[in-house]
Parts: sequence; structure tokens; C-alpha cells
Amino acid sequence: MTDYTTPRFDHPPRPMAQRVGAILWPSFFAAGVATMVFFAFVDPLALRDMTFPDVAISRGLGYTIGFFMFWVATASSSLFTWILLRPASRFNRPLPPN
Amino acid sequence: MGNKQIPIEVLDTGGSAYVSERKVYPRDVSGPLNRLRVAAVFWLLGMFYLFPWLSWDGRQAVLFDLPARKFHVFAITFWPQDFVFLAMLLMIAALVLFFFTALAGRLWCGYACPQTVWTEVFLWMESAIEGDRHKRMKLDAGPWDRNKVLRKSGKHLVWLLFALWTGFTFVGFFTPIRDLGARLSPFDWGGWETFWVLFYALATWGNAGFLREQVCKYMCPYARFQSAMFDRNTLIIAYDPMRGEPRGPRKRGLASVLERARGLLAVAIANDYVFRASRHPSAASQQTRAASTITFDGGTQAEPLPKFAPEELGDCIDCTLCVQVCPTGIDIRNGLQYECIACGACIDACDEVMLKVGYPKGLIRYSTQNAIDGKPTHVLRPRILVYGTILLALMLGWGFGVANRSPLIAEVLRDRNALYRETAEGVENGYTLKLVNKTDQPQHYRIDVSASDLPTLRLREAPEVDVAAGSVASLPLTLVAPAGTAGRHDVKITVRSQDGATTRSIDSSFFGPM
Repeated sequence: MTDYTTPRFDHPPRPMAQRVGAILWPSFFAAGVATMVFFAFVDPLALRDMTFPDVAISRGLGYTIGFFMFWVATASSSLFTWILLRPASRFNRPLPPN
Repeated sequence: MGNKQIPIEVLDTGGSAYVSERKVYPRDVSGPLNRLRVAAVFWLLGMFYLFPWLSWDGRQAVLFDLPARKFHVFAITFWPQDFVFLAMLLMIAALVLFFFTALAGRLWCGYACPQTVWTEVFLWMESAIEGDRHKRMKLDAGPWDRNKVLRKSGKHLVWLLFALWTGFTFVGFFTPIRDLGARLSPFDWGGWETFWVLFYALATWGNAGFLREQVCKYMCPYARFQSAMFDRNTLIIAYDPMRGEPRGPRKRGLASVLERARGLLAVAIANDYVFRASRHPSAASQQTRAASTITFDGGTQAEPLPKFAPEELGDCIDCTLCVQVCPTGIDIRNGLQYECIACGACIDACDEVMLKVGYPKGLIRYSTQNAIDGKPTHVLRPRILVYGTILLALMLGWGFGVANRSPLIAEVLRDRNALYRETAEGVENGYTLKLVNKTDQPQHYRIDVSASDLPTLRLREAPEVDVAAGSVASLPLTLVAPAGTAGRHDVKITVRSQDGATTRSIDSSFFGPM
């Protein structure tokens, strides 16, 4: 019978560069690929005409907005993954004093 | 005690290095909090399963009609243009969650979360077919005999039927449910209807039947952020270590610490006992498989507790029922943990035990950290006031906005292909007028065109238009100015309903040769 009452191994926090890098870099990469595939099929100008036809958006600006929107989405997902993978001990702390 | 299990395990099993998830077998519990949860289950699932069958003004009362891009919720119909109300509703929901979490802990998790609610129903079905906690553990550990096969397949059959009904109901919120039911036999569902019924059924079966507390422990972000909303005045499920420690079995007849000389321990001593007990679980804890993920400041090394004389013992008799009833399998005696879904099953179980041994109830109770530590609790505090004020403002704004929604939307888009056309009649500009009649009656609208510096500007099409109830009309408009008109001119297009109650004006431009 496994002894579930033994304290689990509690990994110490990783360096800041590793934590931030592991969130921003994979999401940057995924956003780049997504932007490339998306705009291979969709012209930013066509997208502008069906959303904000009165705003002057050039192709370049359209690609930029698209990339950062993808990056925000993928980075949010990476951030969420990081929160879920943090060990329980990071959350099970005493309540702050009054 | 000859049959006490010795906690040994084979370290090298040659298998995977990952710990497989320990199955939690929640023990049935009864008590006031459990009755509250059962009531919540009936109320919430009752709404889910009944609402699609209700009618309102000849249509389904609650219908999220995606193909028509309209959401019907009783008397109100939401249009894509009302997206702001949906966004606001989500913000209100988030603030309601913050407000009640700060005030009374994770009420959502314990009583309202679909994960809890459906798991509860699945557990009822499981214990009805497989028996109580002890029988279920025995059944799982035993060989695959006829009894086990029958009980397991019976359970899954009932689960699957319930899950399929759930999937059917879910799709019934998006496509009229009576029609969907009528098309079941002979079977005439569309591909996507069938897919979503099966997909939602599968999700229900997997989440409520198998994943259960793992969703709360490993997937839920809300649990991880509880510390951002909690403070020492928040109601939590709390064990009183000053009263309970040191825990241990005892002979009948020993009075509660509240009624004998020992009294309550000092906070520091009580917490030290809890810490040491968590590092050196008793045989009782080991047998009930009480898991513990809590960490304490000061490392993991702890001296084992000595054997205490009966009169030194606290009120916790270490029966471990609080662990056995816990749907997430934690030991609440270790203190506040993010895994605690605040269902209060441990409170019901402990109160029952306290009653049996003749101690006052409330060793585990709904309380604040301040109250447990013997300090005053403040209900009205800045956090509550700030959350409450923002919440009230958003709710009032939402109510006002929904009550005063415009019954007409009018949009004008200029023809993108040509700035202007020169014809025998003069200079022409093309537009598309989009009218959305959000009322439940057909409407007759009149269209007027005016330009302050172009009095001769006229509309070529008929200026009257009929739009059916709850529909969108897209009309081509052509504005004509006399030949020789040049440059850009401001144009105002006004749409007026026949009864004069609604008027919309749209500003656009008219171009002639530059």
C-alpha cells in the first residue's frame, strides 16, 4: 500500500528567467506559426473591411495586430499552464496577518 | 490489534516514476450542510433540465439560437449588438464570485459548481449500485467476479443514460428541444447535433464519473487564486487545533476540554502538534489514506509526538471520519488548503461524532481564522465594501442598459467599389442600409436624407420599408445629386418608425468628382 501520507517532494522555485522564458518563448513561437498560417489565407485588408471599415489599417498594421493578438492568447495559455503546474505548497500558505 | 496494517511499500516496481492518482471514496454523510448541498443540487440541476422545456410567448423560454444569432432568455432577446451586455454579465459574475469568496469562502465550489453538482449526482448513483465507501473499496480491490462485473456495468449503464440525457438537454438549449426530441425516433438529428449530444455526454461521464476532485485540484484556476480573495475574516472550513490537539483515541467518560481543567492550548503549541502529527501520521490516518499536501514554514523535519496521558488529550478522537467523507481526500485538520472545496462534509461528520461522544459540536466549523485564533472578526472591511460597491454599480448599469435598449439598429455602409458614379441623372453614391428591428412586431420605417450644403440631394429608392419582427433588413440606397456636384459633403440619413417612437440618425458622406 502506497504511503500517501508521506510529504510529496516539493521542488524549489525555478530561476525567474526560466519561469518567464518558459511562458513567453513557446507562446511567441506558437503565435508566429499561427500568424503565418492565418494570414496565408486571410488578407488583413479583407478582415478590416468586415470589421472596422472606417479605420485606416494597412496590411503591415494588420499583421502586427494579428501577431500580438495571437501572442496574448498563447501566452495566456502558457501562463495558465504554469499556474496549474506549480506545486500545492506554493498555494497552501497561512493567510496573511491582519 | 493483530490486524493492523504495517505501512510498507515496494519502492522498485519497475514501473513509471509518476504517482498514479489515488482514488477517493467519499463516505456518505448526513447533516445540515449536506442537506443544503442536496437542495442546491436539485435547484440547479432542476433549472438545467427543466428550462429548455418551458415556453414563453410561443417560443422556447431559454434558447440560445446560434443560427439566427439571437439569445432568448424568458422575456428578453439578446442580439449580437448586445454583446456588451454579455461581457458585462461575465464581469458581474466574476465580481459576485470575488464578493462571496471574500465574505464566505468557496461557496461556489461546495454548492454551485457544475463539477461538484454533477459529481454529487454520479456519487449517489455509484453508492446506490456499489454500496457505501467500505463496500466500494472492497469491490475495487476484489477480483472481477460476477458480482463486480454486474455492479460495475450497471453503474456505467445508469451513468451513461444520465450523461446522454444531460447531453441532449445541453443541445436543447441551442436547438429547440421539443423538435430535437421529436426527431429522435425515427432518428433524424443533424451531424453536429449528434456530435454535441455525444460530446457533452462524454464530458459529463468523464468529469463526474472519473476525474471528479482532480478537476478541482489540478485544473481549476479559482482554487489557486483563493488566497487573493481570502483574509483572516473570511468564513472558511476550519478545524480548531487549540481545542482538538493533541488528537488521539481515548476511553469513554473523558469530558471535553471545554469542560475540564486542561482548557484550550496556546496557538503555537496547537499548531506545532498539528505539524508534527501531519509528519508522523497515526495508524488511523494511514489506514484511511489521509493525504496531505500542505507545507509548513520550517522544513519537513519534525519530532514525533510523545504519548499523551488521557487528561492531556484534546477533543479530536482521531476517528478520521473528516478525512473519509472528504470528496477531495484531504485532511482538514492540517488547516486551510487550496484543495478544500468548502463543501462542509467534514463539519457534518465531526458534529455527528462529537454528539456521539458527548462533546459540544464545532471542533470543525464554518468560521474565520480570526475567530479560531480567538480574535474578533470584522465582516465590514475595505475589501468587502469595494467589491460590493463595484458589484452594485455594475448590476444597476446592466439592468438600466437592458431595460433601455434601442428597439432599432441602423447602420450605413458606403459602397466600397466606387466613390461615385456619373450618370445621365447626375452624380450617384451607393450605400447599404442595414436595419435591425429588435421588437417582436413588424415595423414600418421611413427613410429621410438630408445634406445641409446639398439641398437637391435625393434618394432614388422608395423611402418606406417594412421589416419583419425580430429581423435584419439590408437595403441598397442610392443618393443622387445634380450633375456638376463636386467634393465631399456631409449627409445625414434618418430612419423613423411609423409610430414616431424610434428615430435613428446616421452620418455619412457624399462624394462628387474632386
